[in-house]
Amino acid sequence: MSALLSVTGLSVRFRMRQGRHIHAVTEVSFDLAAGECLALVGESGCGKSVLAAALLGLLPGNAQVRGAALLPQGPDLLSADETTMAKAVRGRQVGLVPQSPAAHLTPVRTVRAQLEETVRELTGVRRAEARTAALEAAERAAFPADHLDRHPHQLSGGLAQRAATALALVGDAPLLIADEPTTGLDRDLVEHTVDELRRHAEDGRGLLMITHDLAAAERIADRVAVMYAGRVVEIASAADFFGPPGPRHPYARGLLNALPEREFTPIPGNPPELGALPDGCAFAPRCTRVAKACRTDTPALVEGTACHFPLERTAPAGAGAGATAGMTGPRVGGGGPR
Amino acid sequence: MAGPQATQAAEATQATGAPWASRSGAVPHRPGRRALRVGVSAGVMAIVLAAVLLVPLLIPADPQDVRLDEKLQAPSWEHPFGTDRLGRDLLLRCVYGLRVSLLVGLVAALVATVLGTAIGAAAGALGGRADRLMMRLVDVFSAVPHLLLGIFIVAMFRPGVWPVVLSVGLTHWLSTARIVRAEVLSLRSRPYIDAAISGGASRTRVAVRHLVPGVLPQAVLAGVLMVPHAIWHESALSFLGLGIPAHQPSLGSLTEAARGSLLAGDWWPTLFPGLFIIIPTLAIAGLAGAWRERLNPRRRSELML
Amino acid sequence: MSGRAEQSNRSGQPKRSGEVPALALRGVTAGYERRAPVVRDVTLSIAEGEAVALLGPSGCGKSTLARVAALLHRPYAGTVTIGGETARGWRHRAPREQRTAVGVVFQQPRMSADPKLTLGALLTEPLRACGRGVEARRLGAELAREVGLDEELLGRRPHEVSDGQLQRACLARALVLRPRVLVCDEMTGMLDASTTAALVAVVERYRWRSGAALLAVGHDRGLLRRWCDRTLDFESAGGMTDSGSGGLRLRRAKDRPLKGAEHARTPRPPDTTTPAS
Repeated sequence: MSALLSVTGLSVRFRMRQGRHIHAVTEVSFDLAAGECLALVGESGCGKSVLAAALLGLLPGNAQVRGAALLPQGPDLLSADETTMAKAVRGRQVGLVPQSPAAHLTPVRTVRAQLEETVRELTGVRRAEARTAALEAAERAAFPADHLDRHPHQLSGGLAQRAATALALVGDAPLLIADEPTTGLDRDLVEHTVDELRRHAEDGRGLLMITHDLAAAERIADRVAVMYAGRVVEIASAADFFGPPGPRHPYARGLLNALPEREFTPIPGNPPELGALPDGCAFAPRCTRVAKACRTDTPALVEGTACHFPLERTAPAGAGAGATAGMTGPRVGGGGPR
Repeated sequence: MAGPQATQAAEATQATGAPWASRSGAVPHRPGRRALRVGVSAGVMAIVLAAVLLVPLLIPADPQDVRLDEKLQAPSWEHPFGTDRLGRDLLLRCVYGLRVSLLVGLVAALVATVLGTAIGAAAGALGGRADRLMMRLVDVFSAVPHLLLGIFIVAMFRPGVWPVVLSVGLTHWLSTARIVRAEVLSLRSRPYIDAAISGGASRTRVAVRHLVPGVLPQAVLAGVLMVPHAIWHESALSFLGLGIPAHQPSLGSLTEAARGSLLAGDWWPTLFPGLFIIIPTLAIAGLAGAWRERLNPRRRSELML
Repeated sequence: MSGRAEQSNRSGQPKRSGEVPALALRGVTAGYERRAPVVRDVTLSIAEGEAVALLGPSGCGKSTLARVAALLHRPYAGTVTIGGETARGWRHRAPREQRTAVGVVFQQPRMSADPKLTLGALLTEPLRACGRGVEARRLGAELAREVGLDEELLGRRPHEVSDGQLQRACLARALVLRPRVLVCDEMTGMLDASTTAALVAVVERYRWRSGAALLAVGHDRGLLRRWCDRTLDFESAGGMTDSGSGGLRLRRAKDRPLKGAEHARTPRPPDTTTPAS
């Protein structure tokens, strides 16, 4: 199947005072097929939301981008100008399911008014048709019709999320980007929301879900990409990642082991500042398998893992850093269990 | 931390060779333009302050010095701004006038801001009946045109600088009170106030440590923006002959005195005091605007992290 | 670390029952409109050293109940008892010793940190508010290490750090007065798995040393089951049942075993929660 979205070498940096630069996203490449759900996971501040904003052309003015993000029949999302993005891309080719739906909706207008306006804007139909189209969009997002005349502040978190999803679905965009769609929702609603998103992927859309919630990612993703300090450090099929083979990058392994359902053990230390990244692998200061090479060379993404000494796939979940030597490099000191 | 960054950037450039591109659609980021505005405003204010503070000390000439033989002279090297009907040097009178106007503007804005902050903060912090009472008071004051109220206040006293200060100060605290009250109300419901209470903070400590510092930037900003307003108000009162007495130069009384000359075709006695009203007020507003932009710590949101 | 509370309990397991509860709510009805309270007639009791989780969907009133327990919101009816002493007032009207006996951490670190204070000032603010400013430097540094904040971060303001780092500071602020009860209102709702595990580890280490009780409010069943001794479901109607006190409309969550959670039912020695440094 051909890729619905093909991102190559995407980097974003922010220009700061005194000519400093902050590298929020560095050399990210991935493909997303129709009907596929890719979950982009990582700690807050790892650059995943910047990546989403870059794909939607919503970066602030001090951002600079590099690389390409191609849709099959459409412009490069990174170099298209604002008019193209507004008229032809956002809503029509790429739909956004936002992080805080309550803030995403206009507080002074009802959900129906906002849906109808979006329908008219995207399809140019007349008022009467817009009415039915808005109803259909609400139905697709499982938004109850008797709540359409409410204002956003009268909606619960889950309903607000559905209203925002309905807005994203109006233009029938083949690619959906969900930026932390489940933040602040309770577990049942999280599951409900991601199941609904999954359903849209099964309708043949591509879904890029950005989240810090590994449980939500496990529930819907076909593939998982782990970001750390602006780079994708691991990209693997969800079955391998969450299943017995487990992640191969020590950071991804640590993140997974921090889940309360697993070891509930944090990764030591804090993530680095994006403005002051260390030389070499950004995870090296927190890694138990660190060796000399890690401190000098930035590992490239090879076979889905950007690590000099990746873990073996066969290790059962929880064996952690004590696993046997990786396949691409020699076993070097500093491994060992904590 | 230039080292690692530079090497990283260099590496990345080698890897793809592609140049960085700004998002063409995004709102352009022009720190240069803002810096220019701040620089010009600050420069103008520096010149104004230097003139106002130093001229009376360094130049012994008296702005009241009447020379009927030199009356209504057009600008020349000897009198760069020309002279007025009584042959007094207009440059000197403008500088002295600006001195008075600035003083009135600053003190009146201070009075208005302190009054407005106190009333607004009290209303917001106390809430309930006290809040409603104070806000109705604000509404009542707002219902009366403030120039009219100001004229009423000046009329109760003998003409002079202080009645004008009082008049402007007492009529301009309303908006500040509203701003401060709204700000206090929004701060009061923040979880960090809950956290402070849970940490044992007294009412006073919550007010002094969390509420007042939270509203202070807004109040100071409102106060600074009030200065040009107060200067204009002083000029208006003086122009109407109700403010600063005519013999004492203020920017308002200077324009008022020059009214007759304008009809006779002599442009300089109105132009220069007029410019002296406009330019410093624009400079103050420019600085205040720049400061307002700095008030919101947006760095993180710019980074989207 | 020093403190009176820790001495009494250092030797053994936290006491469970038969004693004066650390925190007890009786018949609490609370909300923002008298006619439509979000919490109705809730009774709940937490023993010394016990960890109780309150599970419920968002908007069910569990955060309101947490605020009542921390003496930050006056209920329409009912009483709150902290360490056997019934609360006589709420917010500023509560005596300082009672208010500070409950430490509280909120969901959104951005909203619960004064943007004007540096992290260092933030986490020692309760000490200064209680006239113990002289200890601020020493205890501040100690706590910062405890919660995994680098020295360098203490000079920064909230907008210069990440959510996770800010929440670490907010947790430190809640612990700095050594409270007997800790109320965590969705403390980890915005955080990633690793930071969540690290913060829970900090709370558990503190509780292990001090014998403090915990009321954890949230919606993440997996997390709260793993973390707490007892899990209570807050029903959407606003009522709740506490099996411990055989209460009114309370229902104890079924203790279904979780996948991968065969280890670590409480009580749990501190070594399952590895230090975060």
